[in-house]
Amino acid sequence: MSYAYLFKYIIIGDTGVGKSCLLLQFTDKRFQPVHDLTIGVEFGARMITIDGRQIKLQIWDTAGQESFRSITRSYYRGAAGALLVYDITRRDTFNHLTTWLEDARQHSSSNMVIMLIGNKSDLEARREVKKEEGEAFAREHGLIFMETSAKTAANVEEAFINTAKEIYEKIQEGVFDINNEQFLSSYAVLIHPCNSLK
Amino acid sequence: MLQRRGWLGGPKPPKNPHSLEHLKYLHHVLTKNQTVTESNKSLIVEALRSMAEILIWGDQNDSSVFEFYLEKNMFLFFLNILEQNSGNYVCVQLLQTLNILFENLQHETSLYYLLSNNHINEVICHKFDFSDEEVMAYYISFLKTLSLRLNEHTIHFFYNEHTDDFALYTEAIKFFNHPESMVRIAVRTLTLNVYKGKNINDGAMLRFIRDKTAAPYFSNLVWFIAEHVREVDNCVHNNANHQHRDRLRDLVAEHLDHMHYLNDIVTLENELLNEVLIHHLLQRLFLPLYVRSLADGAPGDDTDCPFVSSVVALFLLSQVFLILHHKPLVHQLAEVIFNRNLDSLSLNGEGTPVEQADILQQPESLEKLLSSTKKGKKHKRRPNYRNIDDERSSPEVEAITSLDVLPKGAASGLVDKVLLFLSDKPDVQLNNSFIDSSPKSSTTPADRIKTRPFLDTIYSALNCTGNDYSALFALCFLYAILHNKGISTELKKIVELGLVGEDEGCESYCHWLIERLLRIVSKSVKPENKVRLATLRLTSILLKKVGVRDNQCVLLDEHLASVERCRAEGMQNLQKFLKEEEMFLDIFEDEYRLLQSKPLNVEYLMMDSSLLLPPTVTPLTGIEFSKRLPCGPTEQARQLIGIFFTLRDLSLFLCKESETQLPLTREQDCIQTNDKLDLNNSDLIACTVSSKESKQRRFLVVELYQLILVEPDSKRLGWGVVKFAGFLQDVEVSSDTDDSRTLHVIIHKPSGLRRVPILAANFIFDDHIRILRCMAAKQRLTKGRMRARHLKTGRIAVLLGLP
Repeated sequence: MSYAYLFKYIIIGDTGVGKSCLLLQFTDKRFQPVHDLTIGVEFGARMITIDGRQIKLQIWDTAGQESFRSITRSYYRGAAGALLVYDITRRDTFNHLTTWLEDARQHSSSNMVIMLIGNKSDLEARREVKKEEGEAFAREHGLIFMETSAKTAANVEEAFINTAKEIYEKIQEGVFDINNEQFLSSYAVLIHPCNSLK
Repeated sequence: MLQRRGWLGGPKPPKNPHSLEHLKYLHHVLTKNQTVTESNKSLIVEALRSMAEILIWGDQNDSSVFEFYLEKNMFLFFLNILEQNSGNYVCVQLLQTLNILFENLQHETSLYYLLSNNHINEVICHKFDFSDEEVMAYYISFLKTLSLRLNEHTIHFFYNEHTDDFALYTEAIKFFNHPESMVRIAVRTLTLNVYKGKNINDGAMLRFIRDKTAAPYFSNLVWFIAEHVREVDNCVHNNANHQHRDRLRDLVAEHLDHMHYLNDIVTLENELLNEVLIHHLLQRLFLPLYVRSLADGAPGDDTDCPFVSSVVALFLLSQVFLILHHKPLVHQLAEVIFNRNLDSLSLNGEGTPVEQADILQQPESLEKLLSSTKKGKKHKRRPNYRNIDDERSSPEVEAITSLDVLPKGAASGLVDKVLLFLSDKPDVQLNNSFIDSSPKSSTTPADRIKTRPFLDTIYSALNCTGNDYSALFALCFLYAILHNKGISTELKKIVELGLVGEDEGCESYCHWLIERLLRIVSKSVKPENKVRLATLRLTSILLKKVGVRDNQCVLLDEHLASVERCRAEGMQNLQKFLKEEEMFLDIFEDEYRLLQSKPLNVEYLMMDSSLLLPPTVTPLTGIEFSKRLPCGPTEQARQLIGIFFTLRDLSLFLCKESETQLPLTREQDCIQTNDKLDLNNSDLIACTVSSKESKQRRFLVVELYQLILVEPDSKRLGWGVVKFAGFLQDVEVSSDTDDSRTLHVIIHKPSGLRRVPILAANFIFDDHIRILRCMAAKQRLTKGRMRARHLKTGRIAVLLGLP
């Protein structure tokens, strides 16, 4: 299928916060979220439309590879967007955000769009992190913020698409300049104009 | 819809998709649709997708599901679909189903069911259409997911001891240089997961990796790194005007990725493997290219030269020593740099001559090398790069296709050039700019260094002639050596104490090095100097490291005196700016804060590719201030302030004194929010503080350095609780043109150059003499600001030794 741009995302955050479930929920709608089944996946791709243009999203989960510095380094560098996920029912996953963010900022392009996601919003009764805390953290660090639930699919669509919109805007503003070849070289891996119109 | 109707009058799908019945239904569908056609494609894809769902449900809830799956040997459906080359749409679904299964299965037994009968290896070896980026991505994720499930039990499903087959690994590494970064990362992850396998404790598998794959893989890896390094060099030389900075940044980042990958491998301490890797790294990359280039580095315009310029080599070697700390590797490497000469490079470990030309000779492709280990075996399915769509001819793709061996002629042509180049070269060993003018530093070390051309390059870079371009890298290199955990103290002593020889122990430190460092310091305080702040800071770090031993300063008095002289000179240079530069106070405090909050981190410094470009003056490049030279008088003041702080800190450190004058205002001396103050003798002005967020009644107090807003303390009469405190020096106050009882007050965050307000509000005075109050307040704030700034500037004057 043809597309105008390809955006690569990575998903980061502590283990068990539901990264791979979010990923599957977004990339493959045929998997209906059901009560007694937890399914996730480490990679997925999906086409979306922004501004009337087809955009392909590729999402890579980095789970299980955190111990290798070379791997995290390169993941960050290769991505146009990152979803930083914590679990609203586990305070510790929220506390670790600063470390994740430092890592991301250290290794990624300064233009990388980062979205903060408080996942498992369906488990209101077990909530340990207030929505306001997430909002405050996001404001302080210049991130977009959203609470989602991979279980009920609430806001999952929005989280991924809003991130894409932000990247798309950056392209429109010329921050990611895809026409200037000199600049393109650095983002060629992130965004390339479609050359396979069929 | 389709699903509900069933297929060709067969049974309808059961209502509950999570049940054994549903799997039976899928079995029925797949049995009826053995051949993939345009019309049943969607049905098959949906069946494959549901299969993932039902099997995971079964794994978690009902063991009869997997029993049925096994009984009917349902994996054969997958293979059957693959056999038909049924198109990428179906293949992607199949790979996703497998991905989901291997990612989500929780029970070991379910996993064994899936892995049994060697079916999985058939999928791994299947020749998918890798030109389709989606197929490629799903395939490599599939392999990576599998590698995460390797353990002492599952390894036997992947590695076959009898046939010496380990498709998961050998198929993956063929993509190690794929143009798509995410694919390369997945391959690296997989290899690391396999090497980590010493926990798996499968001796046969590890032997296979070492004997059959290590040499092919590592020789290719190392060759591509070498190519990459030459590309870095090219980019540097074609980039004098900074026009390809993004390209250079990517190339340098990629080199760092390589080094981190190598480090991740060697730190797994898989000794069998490390031995092979280290051999390749030293003999085919670090020694013949990096180290050799130190002495032989081409000036850059010689495109036939197999080496890179010595500056680039120095930069890359610094990265090597900053990142890799594995003793067997770094020690050998450092040993050659410190103790050997060019002759020794022509010998490898076994004493056989190594042709320099070897490093240009591309190894056979992995494809070939790996298949040659399996003579006589049929390999009908194997992914390779040649089925990548050739029309997409980006440079990266070309690099990939060149995985295939170069045509014979081309390769030998290159070799000839190298030989020619080598014979052209005069005796490099004597070519040294190493003539010490200082009579103090004995000539003996210099004599000895003549036989050490590599060390010679590094030390002569420290001479800092012209500018500090290569001196900065030499400093980084020495820093990296001294901080490297894998290098023995004996080698480090060569740096610290000078070359160890017969007169060992005579000198408490290397006069020669110290003198070079001091020379950089003294250059930095000369007018029109070309020493960047980063260089000076690093010089200071090294002086501290070499000049202080066991908490005792070991510098000679004359060297200490030289530090003091430079410090005084720097102060003198700065003095005139104190009066001339309007923003002096702000820059001064800002620089100090910056220095405290972000001390020089050499590892980060060496990640910055812009250092490889000729040092520049203009801020238009976006290069950080400390990594370029000052532009204009204000930046000159800033530079001199930076020098002042660095040398003051160095001098205090060497004299073992602690800083008592800086910062100008210490936080603990300031009034903080929520402090309680006795205000019985203070002037208080009542006002309403109205900002965007709120409107509050407060009392304004103007202290010596601070503006304070308090509210009365309910417990003690005459006391107030501080609600806000800001520095008077950062206050901006103006009257409202329409409303005589209102003042606009902005207080900037104390960070000098970036003006961020911490408070922006209207102060409204509305008691009976409000206009007078308002004017009084304005005057008090304006005067307070001037006084505070004056007091602080006075203290700076004292620091600078002004009367």
